[in-house]
Amino acid sequence: MKRVKSTPRPGWQAYAESLGFKFHTIDGEPYWDESAYYQFSLRQIEQDLEDVTEELHAMALDLVPDILADEQKLDQLAIPEDYRDALAASWQRGDPHLYGRMDLVYDGSGPAKLLELNYDTPTSLYETGFFQWVWLEDQLMRGELPAGADQFNSLQDKLEQAFANLALPQPFHFTSVRESIEDKGTVDYLLDIATQSGVDGRYIALEDIGSLDGQYYDLQGEPITGLFKLYPWEFLLEEAFAEQVKTSETLWLEPLWKLLLSNKGILPLLWQKHPGHPNLLESHFDTGKALDKGWLRKPLFSREGANIELVTADGQRLSEPGPYQDAPFIRQRLQPLPMFDGNYTLIGSWVVGDSAAGIGIREDNSLITKDSSRFLPHIILD
Amino acid sequence: MKRSKKAALVLMAPAATLLLAGCGEQQQEVHVFHNAEECAAFYHPPAECQAEFERAEALHTQVAPRYQNQFECEADFGAGQCETAPERHQSGSFFMPMMMGYMAGQMMNRGNLAGGQAQSTQQSAANNRSAVPTQPLYKSRDDRSTFRTASNQAVASQPGVARVRPSAVQPQRAQLVRRGGFGQQAAVRQQAARQQANRQRSYGS
Repeated sequence: MKRVKSTPRPGWQAYAESLGFKFHTIDGEPYWDESAYYQFSLRQIEQDLEDVTEELHAMALDLVPDILADEQKLDQLAIPEDYRDALAASWQRGDPHLYGRMDLVYDGSGPAKLLELNYDTPTSLYETGFFQWVWLEDQLMRGELPAGADQFNSLQDKLEQAFANLALPQPFHFTSVRESIEDKGTVDYLLDIATQSGVDGRYIALEDIGSLDGQYYDLQGEPITGLFKLYPWEFLLEEAFAEQVKTSETLWLEPLWKLLLSNKGILPLLWQKHPGHPNLLESHFDTGKALDKGWLRKPLFSREGANIELVTADGQRLSEPGPYQDAPFIRQRLQPLPMFDGNYTLIGSWVVGDSAAGIGIREDNSLITKDSSRFLPHIILD
Repeated sequence: MKRSKKAALVLMAPAATLLLAGCGEQQQEVHVFHNAEECAAFYHPPAECQAEFERAEALHTQVAPRYQNQFECEADFGAGQCETAPERHQSGSFFMPMMMGYMAGQMMNRGNLAGGQAQSTQQSAANNRSAVPTQPLYKSRDDRSTFRTASNQAVASQPGVARVRPSAVQPQRAQLVRRGGFGQQAAVRQQAARQQANRQRSYGS
């Protein structure tokens, strides 16, 4: 694994926009960054990332029945009591899941370590599955990359197969918060892939969803039979229309049971079941006492690095503010992100259905990867 | 190969710019009144005034905005300004605002009283097919002068002649569905994030 400097394709921004990538630059700061790429060997990809991703995914799914059978664990994960029956039902019915992303610390050697599972509303999907793929093909065509360079990225192929195989109710709706162009971009991409798989997909802004007699309705007044939501379950369950989750016939992607796995509390539970596993970091539910050196604290529910606090091995304290102070916290042994050319590097490893489906790389100037981090493409070359 | 065989987009590539139907649309003259008597007082044939009023009244029960309860309806339309709607839900009746006036889309035979009265109103309507259907009007709690359509389109602030864009005033069956019950947490967290001067641009992770 190495970082290789690269010349950005001239005029790529306009091309990106023509393909619907409207958030390649955010508040004047680059988000998509092709001034460098990461290079992996096939062995690194297959043994250290692909196999590990599928193993960790299986371990996580394996925990679901354990948690459902144990009120104490549900308490520890702060699952609202009012929705525990509905959550258990969504698991017992076998409500399907589409995708997830796990964040891994990996520097090219030694076991990758699991930082967390983003299993409810994972993002950076478009830039991973589509724009990174286009970058590779484009640079191969231009001769800027060695012939034979490949990429660990079957995300779009696997999503297309998943949409074709899930037998989703039709029409199937896709929703996101109206004001977020980034979320709309991600949802548009999924809607595009679903359409190519023959799904009758339709977009509705989250705020436009209607409710009547325990069902959800679209703007035409038709019941919403299936809904992909890029909006966290822990938010939905606190809102005015939450109650209808129990009564509606809506099939949700991701399903309600994903609330268990997108929860940082899964990390201490994984550690309890598999103590010392090479791909896990020691984790515990937080008791509130001061952090020791080499540990970090994060809320059960948070996004984009918000509300994370850490103390490095040499006692340096680092924290990121955010709007997620209201949930319990976990603590996790600090595995510092590796540094390449002065950047801290994090690997997002995707799962579609139950298969590993590719990676996306984020770089930040801090040990805490935030929404200000940049996305860099990668290649496989032996 | 570890990558997708293809990665195509069918929807996200830009579509040709669509001409909006509303652009350059001709406005049409309509007549707005509180009731049939006022219409007649404005020197229109009383029979036509009455016929158009009844037409609007018939539409009222179909298009008036629906509320889960009287309280929510009166919050928008004022105390005592709401009535029960024909439909029921789990815990009672829907409510809707009372009709406060009407908009006649047909051109009435002003100044031709003899002819107008001789003609049957049906014939008159047929001869004057309008792009604006005759429909009920409402008044909101905080603005008692403005006449609004069932979909809250302001059309006039006083009785008499008004000009409207036909596409903006097409009556639609009332929605019984409540909206806006999802998305509040996004707003709350957004505000908290702003206070701490950091951004929250996505609700993904």
